[in-house]
Amino acid sequence: MISPNEPGRPASAQDGVDLGRVWTSVAAQVWRRRPGRIERTAARLLRSPGLARALVTTPSLLLPWLISTVVVFGAGALISTGPGQPLVWLVAPAAAAVGIAFAYGPGIDSAWELSSSCAVSHWMVLLTRAVAVFALNSVLGLLASAASGAAMTLTFGWLLPMAAISSLALAAAVAARSAVVGAGAGLAAWVITVLAGQSASGQFTGSVTNAHAYPPYLAAAACCAAVVAYAARPERGLQ
Amino acid sequence: MNVALTEIHRSFGKNEAVDGVSLELGPGVFGLLGPNGAGKTSLLRMLATVLPPSSGDIRLLDRDPGRPTARREIRRRLGYLPQSLGYYPSFTVVEFIEYFALLKEMPSAAVPKAVAVAVERVDLGAKAKAKLRTLSGGMLRRVGIAQAIVNDPDLLLLDEPTAGLDPEQRVQFRALLRTLGETATVIVSTHLVEDVGTACSEVALMSAGKIVFRGTPDELTARGAGHGVGDAPLERGYSAVLSAARS
Repeated sequence: MISPNEPGRPASAQDGVDLGRVWTSVAAQVWRRRPGRIERTAARLLRSPGLARALVTTPSLLLPWLISTVVVFGAGALISTGPGQPLVWLVAPAAAAVGIAFAYGPGIDSAWELSSSCAVSHWMVLLTRAVAVFALNSVLGLLASAASGAAMTLTFGWLLPMAAISSLALAAAVAARSAVVGAGAGLAAWVITVLAGQSASGQFTGSVTNAHAYPPYLAAAACCAAVVAYAARPERGLQ
Repeated sequence: MNVALTEIHRSFGKNEAVDGVSLELGPGVFGLLGPNGAGKTSLLRMLATVLPPSSGDIRLLDRDPGRPTARREIRRRLGYLPQSLGYYPSFTVVEFIEYFALLKEMPSAAVPKAVAVAVERVDLGAKAKAKLRTLSGGMLRRVGIAQAIVNDPDLLLLDEPTAGLDPEQRVQFRALLRTLGETATVIVSTHLVEDVGTACSEVALMSAGKIVFRGTPDELTARGAGHGVGDAPLERGYSAVLSAARS
């Protein structure tokens, strides 16, 4: 380790040139991660380069989830549950729930304590990662829906269930401090919801296409968000 | 004073982790010693603003961390190395340090150079572009130290910073601490009394949530004269004070 007064390799000054400073400047340019277009746009929109970096790095933190989502959506696009009813509608909320469960929180994100000591609020980091998961899930879901030839208007039917199931998965994950528990709770809740929708409407996709179910989805999402807010308090997470 | 604590308590259920600690600290390197479960980590977490006290008054960098705007300002000027760092295996050394520099709200334009300086200060230049999953435990600890000092903090909190460092790196790290302590308040929690003896201008010893000794390393050494157990004089002072506190 090197004294801060002499940062860099050869710190001697020759002919008025501080080689240490030159090296540090060169290293800074060589090593730096240049923000891409999405990150620059996100930084402007979010007014925070830190949140923009959290947004664009989320996929790399959730790579197994991302790969499995592509596979599941690909399969969902090929399989239909009925005429014009692709399986994508049913797997999209579950896929998002799994991603959210692994996204952030005490006992889940390995650097959570460190993040909690930073100026950017850890709640904002959580929201940003949730947005990244939702955005990826939505884009992949839309692509799969388009590939399956299903009506695009109905495709958005799974957005509200996705929010509700994802909130539940996150609440369970944070409360239990286990992403696996969260993902399991999300998947179980969605299976129950789908089966209940089928028995009520007679259609396998009833849980997605029935507009009467939207208010309960919103209420469930709000309740689970409150649980997350309580369970992810630093004083609880660090016990 | 960069740190002013008045009768701080922190409990988890029935367990009183920190029990009435009062402390005032300005610039310098301050060593926090104590056995496992003494309350060092809980105290450091409160100073890092990630854990609020159950009762008592905390002022950091002349601000009240209980107020959100003040807490945000404190965090911009804070460096923190948790006991369990936690890292993202897919990040490179530079990406990890940059990420936390940005979360500390450093100006974007200043980040690349600050990261380069921090990487060089912990002597990880050769590994700057290496993925964290490929690094050894000692190197990861140095990455943690680099992210803690990247914003040139006024208050630097290091929980077991030398864990995993080899003897040569520990010597270099102590020199770095002394330099940082010239302008900032550096608080080092450690089990290793030799770190305290060579790097710290002042030391406190915690036991059962209380500070049972505060003074210079020489004063702690003096407590062990003719008493205590240990190979080094400072270790004998440490054990003598702990024995007295427990009896």
